[in-house]
Amino acid sequence: MKNLQDTIREIAAQSLARGEVELVIGWEKGDLWWQSYPAFIEEEKEADRLIWDPLCVPNLSRYLLQELSEMDEKKIALFVKGCDALAFNQLLQDNRTVRERVVLYGIPCDGLVDPSKLEREGLDRDLQEVERDGEELVLKAAAGEEKRVPAKDYLYDKCLTCRYPNPVAYDQMLGETVPVEPEERFTGVRKLEELDYEDRFSYWAEQFSRCIRCFACRNVCPACSCIKCVFDLQEPRWLGKATEPSENAFYHIIRAYHVAGRCVDCGECSRVCPVDIPLQELNRKIILDINELYGEYDAGVDPEQEAPLITYKTDDPAAFTES
Amino acid sequence: MKKVQKEKLEDLFERLAGDGVLYLPLEEDGVVNFAPWKKGARVNLEALNTVLPPKRAIFPQTETYMRFETDGKKLQIEQVEPVEGNYFLFGVRPCDMAGIKVLDKVFLDEPEDDIYSRRRQAGTILSLGCNDPHVSCFCSAFDLEPGFAPDADVALWDVGEVLLWKPLSEKGEKLTSSVEDLLEDASAEEERAAEEQRNSAAATVAAAAREHGWNVEGVEEALQDMFEAELWDKLYRRCLGCGICTYICPTCHCFDVEDFGKWQEGERFRCWDSCMFEEFTLHASGENPRPTQKERVRQRFMHKLCYYPSNFEGLYACVGCGRCVRQCPVSIDITQVIKEVGGVKSGS
Amino acid sequence: MARKSTLLPEVAVVESIRQETPNIKTFRVVSPGGGKPFEHIPGQCAMLSTPPVGEAIFSITSSPTEKEHLDFSIVQTGTVTNYLHEIEEGFEIGIRGPLGNGFPVEEVKGKDLLFIGGGIGLAPLRSFINYCFDNREDYGKIDILYGARTPDDMIQKKDLFELWPQQPNTDVYLTVDKECEGWDGKVALAPHYCEELAFTPENKVTVTCGPPIMIKFVLEALDRMGFTPDQVITTLELRMKCGVGKCGRCNIGEKYVCIDGPVFTYAQLLEMPPEY
Repeated sequence: MKNLQDTIREIAAQSLARGEVELVIGWEKGDLWWQSYPAFIEEEKEADRLIWDPLCVPNLSRYLLQELSEMDEKKIALFVKGCDALAFNQLLQDNRTVRERVVLYGIPCDGLVDPSKLEREGLDRDLQEVERDGEELVLKAAAGEEKRVPAKDYLYDKCLTCRYPNPVAYDQMLGETVPVEPEERFTGVRKLEELDYEDRFSYWAEQFSRCIRCFACRNVCPACSCIKCVFDLQEPRWLGKATEPSENAFYHIIRAYHVAGRCVDCGECSRVCPVDIPLQELNRKIILDINELYGEYDAGVDPEQEAPLITYKTDDPAAFTES
Repeated sequence: MKKVQKEKLEDLFERLAGDGVLYLPLEEDGVVNFAPWKKGARVNLEALNTVLPPKRAIFPQTETYMRFETDGKKLQIEQVEPVEGNYFLFGVRPCDMAGIKVLDKVFLDEPEDDIYSRRRQAGTILSLGCNDPHVSCFCSAFDLEPGFAPDADVALWDVGEVLLWKPLSEKGEKLTSSVEDLLEDASAEEERAAEEQRNSAAATVAAAAREHGWNVEGVEEALQDMFEAELWDKLYRRCLGCGICTYICPTCHCFDVEDFGKWQEGERFRCWDSCMFEEFTLHASGENPRPTQKERVRQRFMHKLCYYPSNFEGLYACVGCGRCVRQCPVSIDITQVIKEVGGVKSGS
Repeated sequence: MARKSTLLPEVAVVESIRQETPNIKTFRVVSPGGGKPFEHIPGQCAMLSTPPVGEAIFSITSSPTEKEHLDFSIVQTGTVTNYLHEIEEGFEIGIRGPLGNGFPVEEVKGKDLLFIGGGIGLAPLRSFINYCFDNREDYGKIDILYGARTPDDMIQKKDLFELWPQQPNTDVYLTVDKECEGWDGKVALAPHYCEELAFTPENKVTVTCGPPIMIKFVLEALDRMGFTPDQVITTLELRMKCGVGKCGRCNIGEKYVCIDGPVFTYAQLLEMPPEY
């Protein structure tokens, strides 16, 4: 792990020094153990701020939306995990980024740590640092104590079902590829599908009732790249500002439909939701439906591939009109 | 000092709920929030901070205050009274109690906001001292004590099998006598245990504050000259522009006003709004005095740590509950701002 | 019965509507039983409610000396103003006020006054100007400089062309931005005209209101002409919702435009963060 961090710093420093890019986006560390957050490095000497640890979860690709538009023709280097690379490709396919202006450094990712899983078992006590060592996490406490726990038990759920841990888009791959051993990702969706209509409705109504409309799910989403979001329009105001069941449901369902076929299943929506609405399941339901109706399709894997929902074929199933 | 046996809590809740709405930390789908108690509800008094602060009971996220009807050229306007009367807020943490005091200054200052003030008066607040603060708790930076909320109506301490109970206000005394049959006298030993817990919680937070440099002394004054500081250029860049930090904040109080309805009838409500959103200051003309996320991020910190204290005798509009520190998806951390501003000051 | 909420409007009647320019109308508002909905100071504002499309804040353009009504000159720009521009006389709307601090009408007694307005910016100034004329002996020389894009864009033409020029010890200077047919008056931008007229700062207070870009250049011109920042008064327009200093929307630094403003001296503005 340390080696990868050194490589990241070295590469960032080099590409800035050689003038290949003017900005490197990676991660840096905060004061508290779980804080690994986006870092914007513009000077070679700042490259040592960059880190890599099992908490580097924020997706960096989305920052291209703001940084590319502000920087004219300048180039940006980006470190991408598997999910970040899918996000990048989706931005590319949506014509919201420019391949030639981005240098991608791929990071094979063996899953990231969900801080709440450590907290739930009290493992966050005096915790200073989390390291990955093979199948284990090394939890380092203040007094130099170390504890080892099985990594798998503390990774984000979304990482356990990840099918593309090795970046699908990169200019240079850093580190060895990791084995791909995803758990079944549609288990949750299948369970919900088994409920009858009313129970399914009340399940989601209950989930959405918690929504505080902070828009974090939208703002973190690499498929939500519209210049002006329909939910922000003041006139006409499609979405009322009252946090009220029908407005909340309207927001989430319309958003799910708008990212349909473009959602890369990165799960950031679920991660950032402060009230734990299982938004990834909602998006996965649509992914599953697309797979069943139009054949297997993974958004973000190949930006050249025809996207089923924006490509008309004469033999497309017409399930909506048939029923 | 009184006490209530934990096994009698269910009876106590039933009694309180019979006399008003009883809001307390309830767990649903793993999320703990203040919500009205019902028999069989999953009460969680262990959770340090609810996801949303209890301010919701006094300043709901969405609140209708007016109803209107039109008939041709005629317009009728009528005030909507809050539905519930009495309520109890049970298990409010000392930081959240301090947050309510911050809101009080805004809403009870002239001209008094009667919607808020009526709700505020209708409530009795029972605070619960923290025994085991989280690593992101920094209430001591604002001279608050994690184990005790002096502004509550009743102070509670969890000492194992019992909750110690001490009325602090007239409302608290009244409540105490109305549930006297469920209370007992606390033993000297239990009082000592509570005292020890209080001290140890305070020591924990104070030590963390020292370790991390969370010292707010002079921050207000320093920020007065930092509107153009480089700090903001760095900080905003990773901000996603979502509203988590403001909506989960016990002191944030900005709101919007909107109408809902058809031409003939409808209602007007106010709802939480966030200075993090582009729309917050956007004019109908398209002009925006805070055009980028930089100005918005700056506004949030400046308001909490500089503008608000300037208006209210040095009281900061942050109570160190740590919610934003824990919940920000990209770890924008107010304690880092405090540290950096403090650092700028001592370095200058 | 609980007392009335500060956010709750009263019903008022739009007694008459006058088309000022293609997109500006002046609305005369009275209480349902007749008479003024409330008293005010020049420069203060009111929230006008048009359910179900909300409420918005407007400056009161009539002088407090007009005893029977409140007037509002309003540009059609958003949902509330669209609604107002569509209604007929006799329609009821909601009204809430007075809001804000108003002009320092007492403090500037005995001074010469220079009013510089642009476009719809005349609306708040007019309240002050007419107040001065109704208390003429309290104020010294009055100069009024008003600019609009075209003659058609000028509001309150009767005041500008007939009533004000007849007032004692008063000069009215009108200008348009560009040459146009039928206009044989001055063609210049207001800030340029102001400098050309070479007003002197002695014992004078300037009150200016208009589009932000005009204000910017007027302030620069006045500075060159020797006016100090505390001799210059202006008003700020920001999005506002509650109008009573609670909702946080019009917060600039430690000030709230809705209660600490909308009237500020230039000296005060220089002390505030430039977020307006």
